[in-house]
Amino acid sequence: MLSSQDFLFYFLGALSLIFGLGVVLYRNPIYSALCLVITMISVAGIFATLDAWFIAGVQLIVYAGAVTVLFVMVLMLFDLKHEMKTFSKGVIGNGVKLASSGVLLGMFSTYIWATYATEPTFKPMAAGATSSIKATKDLATSLFTSYLFAFEVIGLLLLVIAVGAVTLSRITGGTHHHAD
Amino acid sequence: MPINPAAWKVGLDHYLYLSSLLFVFGMLGVLMRRNVIVILMCIELMLNAVNISFIAFSRYAENVNGQVMVFFVMTIAAAEAAVGLALAVTVFKKFREVNIRFFEHLKG
Amino acid sequence: MNNQVLFAILLLAPLVGFLINGFRWKSHNATLAGTIATAMVFISFLCSLGLVSQLFGANAVPSVGAKFFDWINVGGLQVPAAFVIDHISAIMVLVVTGVGTLIHLFSVGYMSHDERPAKYFAYLNLFLFNMLLLILGENLLLMFVGWEGVGLCSYLLIGFWFTDADKAAAGMKAFITNRIGDAGFLLGIFTLFFLFGTVSFSEIIARLPNLAEVGWSGPITLACLFLFVGATGKSAQIPLYVWLPDAMAGPTPVSALIHAATMVTAGVYMIVRLNPLFLLAPNALHVVATVGCATAFFAATIGLTQWDIKKILAYSTVSQLGYMFLACGVGAFGAGLFHVMTHAFFKALMFLGSGSVIHAMHEEQDVRKMGGLRKYLPITHATFLIGWLAIIGIPPFAGFFSKDEILWQSFSSPLGNKVLWIFGVATAGLTSFYMTRLMCLTFWGKSRVSKDVHPHEAPAVMWIPLAVLAVLSTVGGWIGIPAVIGGGDNWLERWFEGVIREPSAFGEPIHSHTLEWSAMGISLSLAVIMATLAYTFYVSNPSLPGRLTQKFHGLYRLIYNKYFVDEFYFGSLINPLVDASKGLWAYVDVNFIDRTTYVIGDVVRGVGSTAKSIQNGNMQQYAMYIALGLAVTMFLILR
Repeated sequence: MLSSQDFLFYFLGALSLIFGLGVVLYRNPIYSALCLVITMISVAGIFATLDAWFIAGVQLIVYAGAVTVLFVMVLMLFDLKHEMKTFSKGVIGNGVKLASSGVLLGMFSTYIWATYATEPTFKPMAAGATSSIKATKDLATSLFTSYLFAFEVIGLLLLVIAVGAVTLSRITGGTHHHAD
Repeated sequence: MPINPAAWKVGLDHYLYLSSLLFVFGMLGVLMRRNVIVILMCIELMLNAVNISFIAFSRYAENVNGQVMVFFVMTIAAAEAAVGLALAVTVFKKFREVNIRFFEHLKG
Repeated sequence: MNNQVLFAILLLAPLVGFLINGFRWKSHNATLAGTIATAMVFISFLCSLGLVSQLFGANAVPSVGAKFFDWINVGGLQVPAAFVIDHISAIMVLVVTGVGTLIHLFSVGYMSHDERPAKYFAYLNLFLFNMLLLILGENLLLMFVGWEGVGLCSYLLIGFWFTDADKAAAGMKAFITNRIGDAGFLLGIFTLFFLFGTVSFSEIIARLPNLAEVGWSGPITLACLFLFVGATGKSAQIPLYVWLPDAMAGPTPVSALIHAATMVTAGVYMIVRLNPLFLLAPNALHVVATVGCATAFFAATIGLTQWDIKKILAYSTVSQLGYMFLACGVGAFGAGLFHVMTHAFFKALMFLGSGSVIHAMHEEQDVRKMGGLRKYLPITHATFLIGWLAIIGIPPFAGFFSKDEILWQSFSSPLGNKVLWIFGVATAGLTSFYMTRLMCLTFWGKSRVSKDVHPHEAPAVMWIPLAVLAVLSTVGGWIGIPAVIGGGDNWLERWFEGVIREPSAFGEPIHSHTLEWSAMGISLSLAVIMATLAYTFYVSNPSLPGRLTQKFHGLYRLIYNKYFVDEFYFGSLINPLVDASKGLWAYVDVNFIDRTTYVIGDVVRGVGSTAKSIQNGNMQQYAMYIALGLAVTMFLILR
């Protein structure tokens, strides 16, 4: 039988795939947003199976907690009254899109299979709670020593984003003239 | 389906298959959906798929750099989602439209 | 002064005159323009005197030359810008500049009432410059430059009054016919360069093989025939003579200078220059002689029936040019050049005289409206009389010596034969007839001048050149008095020794004093008889010609219409060519070429609009292209 680790992976993987498909396929954008939430949560779970506990936590807080909420709020702001087609039309265009996506998927799969079919197994982690704390400690050390500059720049970026978002919301006017 | 324990043991390749599949789903959504917000959501989906693959490689190579990368990617993705949504709101205020086919002003 | 400076002044003086008058071409001041032009030509004359004098005397040189710079220096072709005066070109240059000065002087009076005299004098000076290039050029290419240049000036001057469509058309006819000949001339130059590797006259003559060497006669004959085609164009022989009568549309001094004295003799000059070459091609010489003789006779017959005073003189010129070619064709190159000189004197004299008549008659040129002008234009009449006597060949005037020399040579030379001589004598008779006819209708007999025309004698600036030319027509022949008469040497014959070779390779000429005397006698008496006959026809018994034309109506109509040669050319060559051009324009140019350009434009526009459709603002399509590109790239990398 499958080990618990494996079962978790399969379960969470299936979850994320199904609801990922739901994001793409639902007509109602609120449904898409809700599917996205589930997907985020299952991805967080996948991170956990890979012993990346800190990242899993950050995923839950940032993505599932903030980003998707933001999406839902904006969707509620758009009070769409009229019907809208879900998918873009045009047989050739859609055909090309599907085809190229399929080709890409095929490429990826073939490559992965060719490279990692042998010896794909993960080496076992050191047992116990200490391993997770050690992983997080390693991450923190790495962030604050090797990648310190990038870390600080990211902080600056967040500041810029905040200012930018506020500024964008206060824009009036524009160059496009259309009959109102 | 024969349950062969050896073949079903989860390895790196399974995670990568998952990642690529999620990525392709997200790509299809970007290409084919008409609602601007849904397109942004599909972009987030693609980023998540990439994150999975980074973490998987990090675990496989026993290197913490993958997780550092994911840390940064997540930050950037969140920031980008915020700005994108602010833009979408501004545009909606002006045009009352979220259909992406409406905004073809950059045509040649 | 060294030779280079003299040559430079000689050549550049007319060019300077052209430039000065050219910049002032709108001026109405004929006197000033004319004075400048005449002065420039006179300076050239003085320089040529200075240069030619070095060929005489104790320390005489065979030739004087000057090289200015290397004109073309490409591979095997070396062409210097060099000029030379030897015994042949000495005569030509003195005639051209001397007679040119006189004609320029005449033009001052003739063109005094014209709209644009400065332009006229500019063209005239340019013509003289090109003529000097032609004569003095040391190689065929320089001669060709001058050749083309005189053709151009001829066109400009014939069509001087271009507002009249007929006159402009005459100019075009001259130019185009000339160009056909020039094509032949160019082919001749190419052949000579191919054979000898050089275009310089002296070099070609030096490299000529002996007649005995096999394999040479064919190419050399070909080259000579090509050159002769060029000569027929420039010197108005059959079949390219048709431009000369029409060229009378230009001002009369132009006719005198270009179409009597200088340009039309360029063909003869070229053949005389290359006489060693032609002597290696007896077949070509036969062609030259036959064409020349035929032209002489043919043009003389047409001259019998014309009513325009200038046309009569034009056909007379064609006929006399035929004589010159006849001379060259039988190997008497010296006689040909002698006739060039004497013909320049008396024909220029007669053209200027006719100019004086036309000027007096207020631009009337039809002889049927003239008559008895002897009373009103005494000086013109006197000088014209001398010209008449010269052309019909009465001793001691100039024409007698040169024409008789030609006729004797056509009889006696190893390249000549009796048929040529007979036609030559017949032509002399015809010449005498129609020239006397001209005198009768214009100056003698009853006056048919209309009441409102009051002829007056020309001003001094116009009759002084006439007088000078009359003197030259009298004494000009005395430098070539043949041995049978003078008892001593023929000075001209000795002068040409060395540069003009004898056709001795073809046999012995006939040496018989008796025959020579009798030939002279025959032609002289024929001339006198025909003159008297003409006098009878036109003065004593004016109704006689009318009755004769009635009797031979068909023949008269044929000759009067110039044997319909112009109509023939139009029908067979020109109209089909024009129609073909129109056809080409309609079908090839409009349909094909224009359409091709339109199609290309449309194709480009189509491609552009197709390419434009890629950028339609549809963001998802852009994303699709990215995805597509990604797929293809991954495929190529991960294959």
